[in-house]
Amino acid sequence: MTSTALTGVDVPSGASTPAALAASTRGLRKTYGRTVAVDHVDLDVPEGSVLGMLGPNGSGKTTTIRMLLGLVRPTSGKVELLGQPMPDGAGHALPDIGALVESPGFHPFLSGRDNLLRMAAAEPRLATSDIPAAVDTSLERVGLSGAASRRYRGYSLGMKQRLGLAGALLVPRRMVVLDEPTNGLDPAGTREVRTIIAELNASGVTVLVSSHLLAEVEATCTHVAVLHSGSVVAQGELAELLESGSPALLVSTPDGPGAVEALREGRIPARLTPEGVRVDLTATTPPDAIAALVHAGVRIQEARRARTGLEDLFARLTQQEPEGEAGS
Amino acid sequence: MTQALDMTDQAAGGTPVARSRANIARLLRAELRWIYRRPRTLVVLGVLAVIPVILGIALTLVDSPGPPEGSGGDGSGLVTAAAGNALVLPIAALTMALSLLLPMTTAMSGADAIAGEQAHGTLRSWLLAPVSRGRLLFVKAFGVATFALSTTALMALTGIVTGLVINGSGSLFTLSGTTLGLPAALLKVAIAVGWIALQLWAVGAVALAISSWTEHPMVVLASVLGGIIVFSVLSLLDALSWLHPFLLNSSWTSIADVLRDPMPTGALAEGALRAACYIAIGLSLAYARLTTKDG
Repeated sequence: MTSTALTGVDVPSGASTPAALAASTRGLRKTYGRTVAVDHVDLDVPEGSVLGMLGPNGSGKTTTIRMLLGLVRPTSGKVELLGQPMPDGAGHALPDIGALVESPGFHPFLSGRDNLLRMAAAEPRLATSDIPAAVDTSLERVGLSGAASRRYRGYSLGMKQRLGLAGALLVPRRMVVLDEPTNGLDPAGTREVRTIIAELNASGVTVLVSSHLLAEVEATCTHVAVLHSGSVVAQGELAELLESGSPALLVSTPDGPGAVEALREGRIPARLTPEGVRVDLTATTPPDAIAALVHAGVRIQEARRARTGLEDLFARLTQQEPEGEAGS
Repeated sequence: MTQALDMTDQAAGGTPVARSRANIARLLRAELRWIYRRPRTLVVLGVLAVIPVILGIALTLVDSPGPPEGSGGDGSGLVTAAAGNALVLPIAALTMALSLLLPMTTAMSGADAIAGEQAHGTLRSWLLAPVSRGRLLFVKAFGVATFALSTTALMALTGIVTGLVINGSGSLFTLSGTTLGLPAALLKVAIAVGWIALQLWAVGAVALAISSWTEHPMVVLASVLGGIIVFSVLSLLDALSWLHPFLLNSSWTSIADVLRDPMPTGALAEGALRAACYIAIGLSLAYARLTTKDG
């Protein structure tokens, strides 16, 4: 039973052309009394992507996901999920969505398997006769077969999380939404989740995963959306975002101060760093910067593009703007 | 959307499955399995089942002077009438339990149904399946109603069995003094069970309404019990007689009418109508809240 992937989605959707969107929100806003939980969220989840939703605690990740899934009605704004307006189109969209939202909820007095059986009873896509097989397959997939008949009450945090994941994977889905899936998992569990996400992506399933673990996102995602105090501050392909960070050129030279001097004369902002000279490329290109240095007779050992790690990017986007300009 | 057709297996019998909704019978079965596998449910059923037995034994030991004639209108009269009477015993036990115990267990199941599920975070998994909120309320109401009916029926069953074991089948006297055959007696008990279940469904509907407003099951239990106690106090105040027709439990003692021969139906019908109003209002409130509630 192969999945329902659109053919031709093998690699993360190539360009930033308006590809088909598995989910999108426009001008999303949710207030609780006077508290604004989420505001102006325009989120795009391209079909076939793995989108990592990043944000500090309380930045509105879970609220956005709940609105996306039609659990919460937005105060204003529009949500579309698999082409259906939410929450009104939930009946048509949600059968194809697997979701693990916040901490997984199960009944403590039932075994893991019985909990999943109860969950599966409500799945429109499962024929009644297929339920036991689907539950066992799902349990195996998350590595819980051994503990399936134990009561949920006795599960460790990681096992609970796995069971939640199993619930989201009961049926072949078009999209899977995972809210902090690696919460409480040991390193092995984290790796397994990563493998599961990669498998889903390989079979063309769109994955939306929220996390505050940056390494996690960097390792598994093709796209990233960064939320900060209730709004999206950056989103796009992971590679592009990392590039765009603050474009800079790292020049190693034995004559650092001279190089900075030369660049400033050419009106190119630069500063001295331990590794050499960091040249800001917002207003210029690498060839021009290097030309300026060469003209000034500065000897250059090596010049390379600075790649911002996700951590830098995240820190820059979610902290209040002391943006590294030209100062020293 | 079209490729969704590929992924579902052929449904048994070749009929296409309703793809955006799970089979309602399957949901109801899952709900009942959930209710009756809960240890607490089994404990409650066990305790309720034992009450008529204890009552029967206690009445035998007390060595009562036999069935008094005439009025068994209030609860205590009914209990004395139950001594040596296999027909009155189950009804007396039910009447006793109806004053507080049965509403409490019904409120408990109403509390678990929505508030309890929400507290566990399990309501969400059905909403995400998705189960529409209207269907969710239907399934929940069905579960509470079934549980209430099963508590009542179980008490009636153990009551009548205890009565027959202790007093024999010749002891099926009505309060009017006539003696009934077993089938006629069972019919009367069945009527009483149905009527009491209806009253409990009214309690359950109110419990579901409160349950959908809170995520603390305790709040539901406390509100329902508090409400019943307040209602009982209010129904004792003659100055508030204009209010009495609105109090659900003001007709609960009229269950003794079932035991008369012929059966006067006025008070029973009024009680049934009142319960129906409570059910309609309770379920409407629950529906209104559930459809707008955050999941």
